[in-house]
Amino acid sequence: MTTSSEKLKEARRAAVKDSLPIFLPAIPFGFIVGVAIVESVMPSGVGFLTSPLIFAGAAQLALVTLVGTASAAAAVTTAVVINARHVMYSAAMAPAFKGQPRWFRWFGPAFLIDQVFALSIPHADDDPAIFRRYYMTCASVFSIGWIFLTSLGMVFGAVIPEAWQLGYAPAVMFAGLVVMGLDRRPAVVSAVVGASVCFVAIGLPNRSGLLVGAICGVAAGMLVRESADEKSESVTA
Amino acid sequence: MSTTTALFIVGFVGLVTYAMRAGLILTLADRTLPPTLTRGLRNVAPAVLAALTVSLVADPDQANRGVSFAELAGIVVACAVAWRTRNLIATLVAGMLTFWLILAM
Repeated sequence: MTTSSEKLKEARRAAVKDSLPIFLPAIPFGFIVGVAIVESVMPSGVGFLTSPLIFAGAAQLALVTLVGTASAAAAVTTAVVINARHVMYSAAMAPAFKGQPRWFRWFGPAFLIDQVFALSIPHADDDPAIFRRYYMTCASVFSIGWIFLTSLGMVFGAVIPEAWQLGYAPAVMFAGLVVMGLDRRPAVVSAVVGASVCFVAIGLPNRSGLLVGAICGVAAGMLVRESADEKSESVTA
Repeated sequence: MSTTTALFIVGFVGLVTYAMRAGLILTLADRTLPPTLTRGLRNVAPAVLAALTVSLVADPDQANRGVSFAELAGIVVACAVAWRTRNLIATLVAGMLTFWLILAM
């Protein structure tokens, strides 16, 4: 069965429309990363390459900042630990890559950032061609936009006044995304436990608190699901 | 820092990041996963994104590791608006306005 071009166009339109509000909070952050690249002890040209090659704002920021203050090994370790959550995204996304062409399986994961993951995971059960179009449209918006933003930051510097506190915007946006994704009880438990454990563990070395919180959240959600199933079984029995 | 060293560092982190993003997609896509695992994977989005939200607010690099009242209030309002409206723009506006208002008080 071939997917009609009309449906593909629709998927692309939806992806652009869904991406825009999520892209907004990335704008000030892109500038911050661009400024940090220029200020880094790393040559700026190489620092710029973090955008296409690493493509993960928080890890880029930590890397270019820490190479100047900590050892290179510590900077690399921190950047890798910050990005380790992508292993979990990769596992969660795997079912959506079933029945996808080889090029997409190899090329698509390069764009598996928080935003692209959050946007496309609700579409994981869509028709493979529709999913692919949706995913790659989000990937294009964020990768082109991100490279452009960090470049602007490098060229124009900190044009967004720090007093506006726009660095807070991504947290608001991700909080909203979490709430909108809460469709089942295990999801609620996962979110609450993930957030709470991360808060308690925030001081752990190499920013590993995020990872510890995330793993505890997933595990807690699994426990709830199983006990809920048992309960419904005993009710029907 | 020499260009070669910097290139090596950036290339290495880029490669490891790609491996972390692609690894399980490439190895698991064709397999049928046990139902327990599939169920667990559905909790990845809420768990990781919630932890990510906290890590963005409670910045360990700040001298004060805690969360300010303005930050907390902004998140709470944003969650409520997201729940009611299912609209991300409305959520962003409400969360930021709350945050700015309390900061200005």
